[in-house]
Amino acid sequence: MATKTKPPVVQPGAGNNIIINSNQRLNPVLEHIRHVGKEFGDIVPDYHVGRTTCILFLSLKYHRLHPEYIHTRIAKLGKSYNLRILLIMCDVTEHQELIRELTKAITTSIRTHRVCLINSLTIVVAWSNEEAGQYIATFKQFEHKPPDLIKERADKDYDSIFRTALTSINKVNRTDVATLRTSLGTFADIAKASSDRLQNLPGFGQVKVKRIKEAFEKPFHNKT
Amino acid sequence: MASPLLAFHKEILEKIHDPSTSELLLLARGLGLRHVVCTLMKIYDSPQNLVLLVNATPEEEAAVGEELGIMGCRKPGLRTIGYEMGKRDRQDLYKKGGLFSVTSRILVVDMLQSDIPTELITGILILHAERVTALALEAFIVRLYREKNSTGFLKAFSDQPECITSGLSPLRNIMKELHLRTVHIYPRFHETVKATLENRKADVIELYQHMTESMQTIHHAIVQCMTMTLSELKRSHVTLELDDLTIENAYFKSFDAVVRRQLDPVWHKVGPRTKQLVSDLSTLRRLLTYLLTYDAFSFHEYLETLIACNTTSFSGEKRLNQSPWMLTDAANIIFQTAKRRCYTLSKKSADSLENVIIDDQDGWDALDDIEGSRGQPIDKPKKAWMPEGLDPVAEEFPKWELLADVLQEVEEEILRHESLPNIRGSNTVLVMTSSSRASALVSEFLANMDLDAPKGKRGRKMMERKLRQYLFWKSRLTNQSRGGKVPARTVVKKHDATPIAASKSMDGPANRSLALRKKEEMKQARGANRRRVRGGAPSTTSKPPASANSENMTINDDGEEIEAFVATQNSSSLNDILVGDSDFGLLERIISGQFQDDFDTRYGLLASEETVVVRAYSDDSDDRVLAELQPKFIVMFEPSLEFVRRVEVYKNSHPGLGVRVYFMIYQLSCEEHKYLAALRREKDSFERLIKERATMLVPVFEDQRPKAGDQFIQTISTRLAGGRKELTAQPSQVIVDMREFRSTLPSLLHASGLQVIPATLTVGDYILTPEICVERKSIPDLVSSFNSGRLYTQCELMSVHYKQPILLIEFEENKAFSLEPIAETTKSYAKPTAKTASKKDTGPSETDRIPSLQSKIVLLTLHFPRVRIIWSSSPYATADIFNDLKANNPEPDPSRAIAIGAEEDPDVDAGVNTAAEDLLRCLPGISAKNVKYVMSKVNSVREFCEMTREEIQGILGVEPGGRCWEFMHGIGSMRS
Repeated sequence: MATKTKPPVVQPGAGNNIIINSNQRLNPVLEHIRHVGKEFGDIVPDYHVGRTTCILFLSLKYHRLHPEYIHTRIAKLGKSYNLRILLIMCDVTEHQELIRELTKAITTSIRTHRVCLINSLTIVVAWSNEEAGQYIATFKQFEHKPPDLIKERADKDYDSIFRTALTSINKVNRTDVATLRTSLGTFADIAKASSDRLQNLPGFGQVKVKRIKEAFEKPFHNKT
Repeated sequence: MASPLLAFHKEILEKIHDPSTSELLLLARGLGLRHVVCTLMKIYDSPQNLVLLVNATPEEEAAVGEELGIMGCRKPGLRTIGYEMGKRDRQDLYKKGGLFSVTSRILVVDMLQSDIPTELITGILILHAERVTALALEAFIVRLYREKNSTGFLKAFSDQPECITSGLSPLRNIMKELHLRTVHIYPRFHETVKATLENRKADVIELYQHMTESMQTIHHAIVQCMTMTLSELKRSHVTLELDDLTIENAYFKSFDAVVRRQLDPVWHKVGPRTKQLVSDLSTLRRLLTYLLTYDAFSFHEYLETLIACNTTSFSGEKRLNQSPWMLTDAANIIFQTAKRRCYTLSKKSADSLENVIIDDQDGWDALDDIEGSRGQPIDKPKKAWMPEGLDPVAEEFPKWELLADVLQEVEEEILRHESLPNIRGSNTVLVMTSSSRASALVSEFLANMDLDAPKGKRGRKMMERKLRQYLFWKSRLTNQSRGGKVPARTVVKKHDATPIAASKSMDGPANRSLALRKKEEMKQARGANRRRVRGGAPSTTSKPPASANSENMTINDDGEEIEAFVATQNSSSLNDILVGDSDFGLLERIISGQFQDDFDTRYGLLASEETVVVRAYSDDSDDRVLAELQPKFIVMFEPSLEFVRRVEVYKNSHPGLGVRVYFMIYQLSCEEHKYLAALRREKDSFERLIKERATMLVPVFEDQRPKAGDQFIQTISTRLAGGRKELTAQPSQVIVDMREFRSTLPSLLHASGLQVIPATLTVGDYILTPEICVERKSIPDLVSSFNSGRLYTQCELMSVHYKQPILLIEFEENKAFSLEPIAETTKSYAKPTAKTASKKDTGPSETDRIPSLQSKIVLLTLHFPRVRIIWSSSPYATADIFNDLKANNPEPDPSRAIAIGAEEDPDVDAGVNTAAEDLLRCLPGISAKNVKYVMSKVNSVREFCEMTREEIQGILGVEPGGRCWEFMHGIGSMRS
């Protein structure tokens, strides 16, 4: 256990490993942290998953028994780390109140609250050991990853753009996309197909046709 | 002329017309609920009154308005208020009073912004009361209404007792939400209703038709597949309550809801296999109905599409989970028999097919050699467009035959009646079908019927046209599925095949008078009808890998042959199909062409007895049709519980009118079963409701909102700076984006005591304090906005403008509070997760594996360390959390919130067609940055599609514009 708080020591060579607080030794989550190196170290948070990122782990079951525990941990954390994650393991059925209370205490920096001084924590909820392990591992893996994955992407092949575009219309499924393509042709052809024509396609009812027509033909804005 | 009120209508109106009382009316379907509502509205119509009709669909709004007009309630009559109308206009209209139909979402906003004088509303009529739940917008409306107005009336209506059965005390819940204390229930077996309707009975002839042998085979096989899928489902999920899961229930759409209700709390633990089974069931159910309503070719076409589009998963890979039913023998029977209903390949061509199956160069070459040696094809007495060796079977529905006979009988009957004097009603024959599609088919059949042909061949002409369309379609499908590698060579299989007898020209002169009768009704029949489709059930059936299924092979092979054939015929005889490069409405052109010719010469001469009107069952507007046409002969092509009652009502409101009904039903089919079960279900649910009413604890309503004073007392606490804290009299506020009123959260926020201020926000969905901005995402939203990159942009914006950006991940009430397990997407452990593996080895080179939702969340937090995440298990929990976050914080400023980020969007106040926006966003070359610009330049997606390459490049820039144009016009697809 960390008896005296000092900033985490990050060895230059060990940058690829997750540093784990030794109090987590018996945590069943550990065996689910895969594909990254792990080492135990003397750190304040539970997991040190990046230069500026740390994770505190909290099982709701434990929290119910020791509601003060997490607050002392947070207090110890002080101001260090830029991104601080509170990984909550949702292992009770009556989670609503607990999560609400934690959210209240941790999400915002309420001045009067003793635990959250300047920085607050971001909550991430996991529902199984596996999921929690995956989260921890991913935080490490993605440490230097550019956000392209969640940014807008272009450059997919024709088929998948076609499919994605048309299925973005409510009630249109993949079978319908295939039907549209085989019986009407290109995107522009579909755009100018009449309702009656659409209605005659197998699997197309009034509602679906209406949705498609609304998407294609109704103006973007009502100019009034 | 408005149809007269029957005794039970009068009784109902007497009970509910009093504007000082509020009540709920439950009426059995088909007994004329709309008529009651309209009569009631007519009573209230006056400029001094402000009466609102809420929860009506656009179709209903139009129909109610029309009916009111017929009743003499015009100028101004019912006015519809939709999103197109400006705020100022609405205010003016409300002030003038009268009858209004308002969309719920607009009404809520208007009430919150006091655009409508809530305290002056005379009354509200709510349709579809069965859909009102605590979370519904209507409940919110009633709450807002009752807050300010305790004297106005509230009348709620419903004709769907089946929907009011789930839960402990469903009726009471609805009444509680609507703040009602009285309910009137009028089932068909109500004493007054019974007495009225059984006065005069219609002459009903029930015709039980057998299905054809192949239909029976398919029907049986589908049921077998359903049974199999169902038992599989039971096995895979032991916790399912088995009582309700019977094959009989599986015929109904509501079955899906039953299954989902049981599975929802554990949906995240349900494997993809089980999900597959659930969606398979709905596909199979759809097949059952299609079997009875689609013609043989369309049915086969649909089956083929099902198979073809399920080879690949969403990302284009081979699917791992196959629909078990597709692998069974029964499925094979379905596919084979369905094909056999359309055509057969004659022996010789089947032989030659064997040679063609190998799709490689050698095969084609060899084939060419054979052909070369055989020389030119020999002319045969068959249709030029029909591929060699193709034997059209073109099975027709036996009901068509029956219909033809019935019409014949009717004709004779009419002739017989002609001599009798004083017969009321028109001689128009009304044919009712289940869907507009079916009615189009029936009228097409009637238009092309050949009365001289032998039984079962009368629709030959039409079927041949369908075959032709099918062949054309088929060639496209094959073309697509083979990746567009059209063999350049012309491959036509030639051999000395025997002339195909079956395809002898059937072009004998069609019975003119019969054919003509229907044409004029075609247009009316189409489009005017509503067909309720259980929408959106993702048809995620998958198909086994090609090699595993020989059926698949044969299908493709046929396709190849046909396609090749069409390729050769392209220039010549098929040209008429390909006119204008689209086979758009071949049928329509043919019919309308004829129609045009005949119209002038014949239309005026047609007597009413020569008309047959074909329509699909619709809602209460069917009453109107009956009243206007006054038919003496009605053919119910498919059974419908409601329509039987409509006929009863019609018969009784027109005394002296002899009505004969031909009621057609396929014996021993799901159709028959569904009809009987629906009768039973309605009766049961009415009985249950009557029982509940008898034992119900009538809810008592008090002013539920705490008085302002209470809040003072609650807030003055010595714990807060010794009670010294400044207190403001105004309640806590939340600024809510207009678009969010589609969700349930604003209603719950209001219920929890917050003041909801609607505004059009550019950044964020909810503004809690000057610093806290919340973006709400339901799980499907979250997934899609991660995919589209929207969430990234939204977080960017929130981080720029607010100190405390928050992402709210909201789960649904009663659904699992959990994300899909990671195993779902990264299941195969045999192959180590590509993402992690590649990360370790080669750094950022991401493979094509779809990253899990969880890892996207991780990435988001890494890039936006200031964004906090709220995990909320339900909207209720969200409301609580919002209240917590607001505690002791200053109130937000609406004008500032609106101004933030709004500068670049000139159309903030206008309603936005989100569906179109989403569609536009998906196109290549369009990003979050330019989508608003495009929307300001172009009117609609269709318009966008019709622009030239240069115009689009002018908007988007050369490179993206070119890409976009090419995409829309199919260049760059594999087919080019």
